[in-house]
Amino acid sequence: MASIIDIKEECALQVRDFEFTYKGAEAPSLKKITMPIAKNSITALIGPSGCGKTTLLRSFNRMHDLYPGNVYNGEIEFEGRNILSSKEDLIQLRTQIGMIFQKPTAFPMSIFDNVAYGLRLQGIKNKSELSDRVEKALKDAALWKEVSDRLKNDANGLSGGQQQRLCIARAIAVEPEVLLFDEPTSALDPISTQGIEKLVIELKERVSIIIVTHNMQQAARVSDYTGFMYLGELIELGNTENLFVTPKEKLTQEYITGKFG
Amino acid sequence: MTATQKRVIANRIVLTLSTLSAVIALGFLFWILGVLVMKGLSALNWNIFIFEGAPPGYAESGLRHALVGQAILIAMATAIGVPLGILAGTYLSEYGKNSKLAHTIRDISDIMMSAPSIVIGAFVYAVVVMPMGHFSAWAGAIALGIIMIPIILRTTDDMLQLVPGTLREAAFALGAPKYKVIMDVVYRGAKAGILTGILLGIARVGGETAPLLFTSFNDNFFTTNLNDAMPSLTVTMFNYAISPYEDWQQLGWAAAFILSMFILGLNILGRLVLLMSRSK
Repeated sequence: MASIIDIKEECALQVRDFEFTYKGAEAPSLKKITMPIAKNSITALIGPSGCGKTTLLRSFNRMHDLYPGNVYNGEIEFEGRNILSSKEDLIQLRTQIGMIFQKPTAFPMSIFDNVAYGLRLQGIKNKSELSDRVEKALKDAALWKEVSDRLKNDANGLSGGQQQRLCIARAIAVEPEVLLFDEPTSALDPISTQGIEKLVIELKERVSIIIVTHNMQQAARVSDYTGFMYLGELIELGNTENLFVTPKEKLTQEYITGKFG
Repeated sequence: MTATQKRVIANRIVLTLSTLSAVIALGFLFWILGVLVMKGLSALNWNIFIFEGAPPGYAESGLRHALVGQAILIAMATAIGVPLGILAGTYLSEYGKNSKLAHTIRDISDIMMSAPSIVIGAFVYAVVVMPMGHFSAWAGAIALGIIMIPIILRTTDDMLQLVPGTLREAAFALGAPKYKVIMDVVYRGAKAGILTGILLGIARVGGETAPLLFTSFNDNFFTTNLNDAMPSLTVTMFNYAISPYEDWQQLGWAAAFILSMFILGLNILGRLVLLMSRSK
């Protein structure tokens, strides 16, 4: 069966016997997944299309709750509580676990207002505090130099790579514990991709990161741990290097050597 | 004659016929505008904006009463139709989505959009004018507001649905509650489209005559009393146009010209708003 590495360091999240079923589906899309997510590290999820990696990622901030009828089973432990509980405060959860999407999602407002959006939601009204934290977030997202003289401009005037970094700035401005990346570079050119990857690696000092990617090289370049998923199951979770060099499962080996996928 | 030659000739005939039809169709539009501009411009003078209605033969007669009445009626109708239309459209796009109720509302709204406006006038006559016992600006504005609702509802619904779902998810992912997502992100993303819908809705009811005939009725004198019959440009134009008096007919042309320019202006403005938001 599945080969899941035992992580010695502290964990940000613990997934135990997790199952997820989409509304109206007969069988669960995710089956009995158990995996630790190490703190202040990058965990990559790879696997062929439809294997459930994005479905799993969207469970960590309960994104599936936006569409009624989906069912979670099992446990995802975060800060000592099961976030799948019906009592979980989703608004609070999503400020602790942020998300970056496949396509840049700049809101139709100024660059400043985009980054300040999450802060304002948390009730921060003080102007100097807002501008300090916006500046810090933009610096951390390596975007400050490019936009510092046009913070009031419409965010949709930025390039795709800049917009994606803006979304990262917006997500880290609220200082989450965990950041979820859903194929964050699949809509970007190689140079922007490099910039985002560099940024993701820098960010792990402060947040725990889970990244879904179609690109195995990307997983190998950025992540500390890699999970290989297939048909809704987690086949293998290991140190990235070990998983790519000496995979324990036959399926993993076949996938990373390009026999299917 | 070869097959190719035949095809070339057939092509020319169809091209000529279709071009000709387009020219004729547009010709009518320009003919209407031409007559309107000629007759309307010659009837325009400052007195129209200064004086109210007067018996035929009076030099000091104008359309001030009808212009102000029309503005009041449209403003009230907008105040009724826009919030209802936008909120209902928001329900459809953001809450109802593909539910049975939402589909039923969309269907009913489409039927309402093609309902004869005089029927809506008759309805308002029955539920507002009869119980009140007299015509009123309220009744006229309610009739126009009802006509406006399905137009605004439909454009709002369509425009909100054009806002990408990932934008909503991104706002939710930052911990925004649903009403904030709608107000901060969805409305902003769709604001040009919604504004265009409002302008086109106003343009649509601005030219309505039938629903006003037995709701706000008409008045030849200036009034701002909302509980009383209220003059409108359209009904005034109708009354003056069918009158046998030369000077009243002139005023009718002036009313037609002003009304057309107003509606034309709204339509052009609506298109400009959309164009500008797209080129940004």
